[in-house]
Amino acid sequence: METPASKLSVRNLRKGFRSQRSDGSIQVFEDISLEVHPSEFISLVGPSGCGKTTFLRILDGLIPHDDGEILLDGKTVVKPGPDKGFVFQDSSLLPWRTVMDNVILGLELQGIDKREARRKATQYISLVGLAGFENHYPHELSGGMQQRVNLARALIVDPQVLLMDEPFASLDAQTREIMQAELLKMWNQTKKTVVFVTHQIEEAIYLSDRVVVFSARPATIREVVTVGIPRPRSLSVKRTREFLDLADRVWKIIQHEVLKSMGREREEGIR
Amino acid sequence: MRAVEKREPLVPAWLRSSRMIALYSVVAGLGAWQLAYMGLARTIYFEAYAIHHFLSSPLQVIETFGELYRSGELFKHSYFSLLEFAYGFVLSVVVGIPVGFLMATQKKINYYLDPWVSCIYATPRVALAPIIIVWFGLGILPNALIVFLGAVFPILLNTYTGIKSVRQNLIEVVKAFGGSALQVFFKVMIPDATPAIIAGLRLAVGRAVIGVVVAEWFGAEAGLGYMVYFYSQLFQPGPVFVGIVVLVVFGILSFMALDKAQGWISPWYAYQVRREVHGMEME
Repeated sequence: METPASKLSVRNLRKGFRSQRSDGSIQVFEDISLEVHPSEFISLVGPSGCGKTTFLRILDGLIPHDDGEILLDGKTVVKPGPDKGFVFQDSSLLPWRTVMDNVILGLELQGIDKREARRKATQYISLVGLAGFENHYPHELSGGMQQRVNLARALIVDPQVLLMDEPFASLDAQTREIMQAELLKMWNQTKKTVVFVTHQIEEAIYLSDRVVVFSARPATIREVVTVGIPRPRSLSVKRTREFLDLADRVWKIIQHEVLKSMGREREEGIR
Repeated sequence: MRAVEKREPLVPAWLRSSRMIALYSVVAGLGAWQLAYMGLARTIYFEAYAIHHFLSSPLQVIETFGELYRSGELFKHSYFSLLEFAYGFVLSVVVGIPVGFLMATQKKINYYLDPWVSCIYATPRVALAPIIIVWFGLGILPNALIVFLGAVFPILLNTYTGIKSVRQNLIEVVKAFGGSALQVFFKVMIPDATPAIIAGLRLAVGRAVIGVVVAEWFGAEAGLGYMVYFYSQLFQPGPVFVGIVVLVVFGILSFMALDKAQGWISPWYAYQVRREVHGMEME
């Protein structure tokens, strides 16, 4: 039986890709297990190329895995659906749709009445601070505003879990900070369970209850770092001793992994 | 006392707009043509070489236009050509878009059809016109077929490219929210491929007009291409130029109609075309 305390459970997950060059396969994930509690904010960090994004896609059911199981509210995840909200990296808005029509996409795909959907969308558009921009097209918005739409589009389906794939990666440093603070505010209001992928360690620590550090490929969970910094967190916590120590600790784990994988690549290159 | 007042520009703004400048350019060009012709008419060469059998002036073309219009001859030829154009173009759309779509989405179909499409596309279609006339005789149908051969490929190939270059990340978005294959098709593939398809239609209009003229040169009893050819054989440049002008105006109007259609399909469209299809229209 699954523990009722878990919103999302990943058990002994394995995934390999068939290699183009040889008959063998490249192992991406080796036996990953993870429990995410309700309303918890979790971040995934790790050396680049370790498969964080692939992991998130598997959680959503966008791509299949080889072995192990994923349970959301005790039910096995088999395919994407409205119980999961996915926030993509940049430029994933449909360019021919206005802000309003982009936000209602998820409801529209479920066949919900358009008028009903629009009414609901108005509420979410103002939640992400874009009231008044309903009839704008994506190309008329800044990068930060586009990501707000992206977020509203995921929230409107009222998902059980919010999967966020480096949503702020392409934003400039200031906009990124503002968006982080805004995201925490919205998370506080909606109390969603969030799995957040990022390559920025300080972003992960600032946002999360726990930071999951992946190893280099084949990825396993190297360590789960609990962030004890009390909430609500203002942006100034990023300069506290406690915060910097945590960042340093996470950074050292990743650095170790990067060096290890570089060594292995060199060996493989010689062979 | 010196008044501080804004001076009115010498020429008001609307007279300096790009449209007005285009108009000046055309009027100046036609004026130069007219003056050159009138100058030539005063020299001894005009009679000696029977220049009026080779050249015509804008004013004479307008006059001839009036004559042909009143006699009903212009209408007959235009009607004939328009029918050939319409049949050929509609057939191109009806065949080109679905086949292009199938080739882009079904690998097997692509393997079978690709060599044929490449071969026929590489064939100078003017070379096929005589044999089509031989097979089908004179009339609207064979001519529409020649128009079709010219117009179908830009539509087919642009549809193919358009569908092939649909952005995968947008497809993934719809899938991530639980969209079905059918929803992916209607909500992403069609809209994302539309700019390329419309660019194909624009290219096809030009090709179709060429098709009409070529077809009528090889065999027709009426039509604007036929009219141009017929009167050039009689050394009457007036009606020849009338025919050319009508064809040009028709081409321009079709382009404008497609532009309007673009704007009407969706306002995002202009932006999309500017960004993506810029390279595709060069050929």
